[in-house]
Order: sequence, then structure tokens, then C-alpha cells
Amino acid sequence: MVFVNSIILLGALGFGFGTFLAFAAKKFEVKEDPRLEKIVEVLPSANCGACGYPGCEAFAKAVLKGEAPKDGCLPGKAQGVSEKIKKILEEG
Amino acid sequence: MKVFLIFLSAILVNNFVLQRFLGICPFLGVSKKIDTAFGMSLAVVFVMLLASIITWLLNGVLILMGLGFLKTIVFILVIASLVQFVEIFLKKTSPALYEALGIFLPLITTNCAILGLALLNIQNEYSLVETVFHALGAGIGFGLALVLFAGIREQLEFADMPKPFKGLAGALITAGILSMAFVGFSGMIKL
Repeated sequence: MVFVNSIILLGALGFGFGTFLAFAAKKFEVKEDPRLEKIVEVLPSANCGACGYPGCEAFAKAVLKGEAPKDGCLPGKAQGVSEKIKKILEEG
Repeated sequence: MKVFLIFLSAILVNNFVLQRFLGICPFLGVSKKIDTAFGMSLAVVFVMLLASIITWLLNGVLILMGLGFLKTIVFILVIASLVQFVEIFLKKTSPALYEALGIFLPLITTNCAILGLALLNIQNEYSLVETVFHALGAGIGFGLALVLFAGIREQLEFADMPKPFKGLAGALITAGILSMAFVGFSGMIKL
């Protein structure tokens, strides 16, 4: 019984908060450069900071601004991340 | 009367940062400039207030359903959702503050001061009104510690310090001295 109650409560809470956040995200949407999401997708998402930026998203933003070199991501070098970034920047 | 004492003690006597040593991460990370420290404090007050009310209500539900052991998980869930909402809201309304806070905004989720406050409200068996004032006091106390420290740190930048003490080392020592100063308040209010 405790088991069922736990699942119901946590499920309801998760669903409730998730819905609320989905609405809020839609209502307070900020138009961003679509290339930003594409670059973030090809990064390793380790947020290791080896590039010198606080997190992968910060590195992606710096690349878009032209402040960071395209091959700045150290863990990504083996996976060919810098070529993928170059392609995204050229496609636009 | 007790409510007013709870409020005051949370700011001065039991300051969450300088006496309870909770929330040290943003305390050191966001206190380089007074503006960001103030913005961070506002976000924290907001999250603390809402989180305290919602977790207090949910604790009632948990006890009713006999699921008290889920307290920690449920509280974290509430705090995480609230912080995510604050992030979404700030990104739209104040991009400058959002950029200035950077990684420390989502780190409010793991800020032990918020969870500590929520658990303390339950442990001290506060009523809802007492919880609200406790949360307000805790948030304001957090802001006070942060802004104070930011002011000191801004001045410390121009001070002539020996090389080993420059930067974070000097800041940590100063934080300790600031905490000692607040010990002067201890015992003023006995709850």
C-alpha cells in the first residue's frame, strides 16, 4: 500500500510540476540563435570546463560570438567536434 | 511575537551563511560584485519563500499518506522545479542578471540553505505563518551576508596584500572574520 501511495504521489507531483514548467517555458520563451542548440548537441555535454568556459552551453555561445576557437573543446577533439562545429557555422 | 523573533533570529543570530554555514557555494561564487550579489539574493529569497510554503503543505500530505520517508526526495523535487521556473523567468525578464549569475542560478537547486530551511521548518514544527517569516528572515539574512561580503571583497581588490593572500585566500579568511563578528549576536534571542 505504501508502495502504491509513493508511486501515485511522486508521479502526480512530477506530472504537475512538469506541466507547470512546460507552460512557463512556452510563456517566457526567448528567441535564440538556432545554431546554438545545434552546437550544444554535438558537444560532449560533460561540462568539464577544459575549454575555459563554465559549461558546454557557455562554450557554444562563445564560439557563436567568435570569442572561442572552434577546436577549443578538448574531450571533443577525438570525436571530430571541431569539424562538426565548422559545418554548423557554415550552414547557418 | 514569536514570529517576529523567528524572523529576526534567522537574519542575525542564526544567519544561514555565517552561523549555520549553509549556502557557502554562492556566497563565495557570486560575491565579487555587489550588483550580482543583490540579484542572487533576490532570487534566493523568492525560492526560499515559495519552497518553504509548498514543502510545508506537501509535508502535511506526506504525513497524511504515511510517506514521511519521502520527505527529502519530494522537497528536492519542489526546489528543483521552482529554480527551473526562476531560470526561465529571469532569462526572459532580465537577461543581464541571468548572464551575470551564470551557472550559479541553477546551482540554487543544490544550495543546502534552501533544503536546510525546508527541513528546519519541519524539524522545529513551525506553523505556516512561522514558516513564512522564517523563510523571509533566512532569505534576507542570506542576502545580508552576501551583500556585506561583496562590499568587502570589492574593497579587498584594491588592498595591498601579500601575494599568498591575494584573491580567494584573502576572501576566505575575511569570511571567517565576518562570521566571527556575527557570533557577537549569539544568545541574543533564545527560541
